Amino acid sequence: MHKSNHLSIIEQLKKGDEKTIHSIYVENKNGFLLFAARYNLPTDDVLDIYQDSIIALCENAKKGTIDTLENTISTYLFSIGKYMIYKKLKSKNKNISIDFDTKLPQAIEDDEEEPDNATEVALLQNNFKKLGEQCQKVLRLFYYEEKKLDEIQIALNYTNKDVLKSQKSRCLKQLKDLIKI
Amino acid sequence: MDKETLINNYFEKSLSIEEQTLFDSLMNSDADFAEEVAFQKSVKKAISLNERADLKRKLASFEAKKPKVKALRVFYAAASIVLLCGLGFYLTQNTTNSLYEDYYQTYPNVIAPTVRGENKEDLKSEAFYEYDSGNYQKSLELFSKIYTTEKDDYALFYKALSQMELQKTSEAITTFKQFDLAKNNAFTPFVKWYLALSYLKENQKEKAIPLLKSLSETDNPQQEMAYKLLSELD
Repeated sequence: MHKSNHLSIIEQLKKGDEKTIHSIYVENKNGFLLFAARYNLPTDDVLDIYQDSIIALCENAKKGTIDTLENTISTYLFSIGKYMIYKKLKSKNKNISIDFDTKLPQAIEDDEEEPDNATEVALLQNNFKKLGEQCQKVLRLFYYEEKKLDEIQIALNYTNKDVLKSQKSRCLKQLKDLIKI
Repeated sequence: MDKETLINNYFEKSLSIEEQTLFDSLMNSDADFAEEVAFQKSVKKAISLNERADLKRKLASFEAKKPKVKALRVFYAAASIVLLCGLGFYLTQNTTNSLYEDYYQTYPNVIAPTVRGENKEDLKSEAFYEYDSGNYQKSLELFSKIYTTEKDDYALFYKALSQMELQKTSEAITTFKQFDLAKNNAFTPFVKWYLALSYLKENQKEKAIPLLKSLSETDNPQQEMAYKLLSELD
């Protein structure tokens, strides 16, 4: 993949374009399976890791954290995958003497550091879908895609930031009420 | 600055140093504030988990169309046994031939699913069925046939791999050489890789090295392996 090309791919990933995701998935899978084969992980695990790596790639594209990616998408994807394999091996307590470069690839967050209130999160997961479409949009853009309020205001055509802010806090209030019941 | 803005800026990662200090002190002194931040973190987590689950379902649907996970698992098990036997057997040899044994792994069928009893009339499925079953003589015949009529790269690639499996190394080399490496498609790095391994098997180190060098110098799935193998050849 050429650089100019991979910038447009990142644009497509930001939009969540399924065709692009599919082609990245297919193009890199053979290589990834072969690459992962030497770590002796069950194939189901490898496939799982591969899919999670694709998800991380899509997420980071949306968050805008790989806009300045210096490597090709494939290289980036493989570095995420390699890190995830490392974590998997570590969790299985395998002896990992292989020359693992264990530092996190660009813009990958290790989000396991803070233990969450699992019950609250599960409740929120279920109830989020009960919110109105606009609420889901606003919250998804702000918390998941990590867009700034200014950006959301433009993207969703709010007349001013305060309207958006009060919309967002109303949505949060609704969620709070939903999980109380 | 009101607390709501402070929390928004925290999630936007745009807190100034002073705001960060204020934020930290409120987290310690104001229980309601801390609770609100924790709640919004949970919301963030919940939305992320939902989004990931949706995408994961989508990716799984890519797989569902090609039910090959199980075939692959058996395959890798078989491949690793082959590899282990190879390792033990060639441990005493000291030529580049032994490096071949160290590095060679059966390339999985990643093209067509193998489902027993289905699509028997379909030549492609039959070829992969034989390949997956380890009947490389038969898969060789079938892939040759497919390549003659369809001129498809995958058929050429798996024809060469079948020849490698049958230890027909010089024939595999001839087949790999039919590839137009300038095309640079998904097969290219693997063609270079297996061609290099075939040369090593034939103790033609000087022909393997340029291929491995080109692999180690560009971004591709075999880059790291090529680099490692090169270092062992020095």
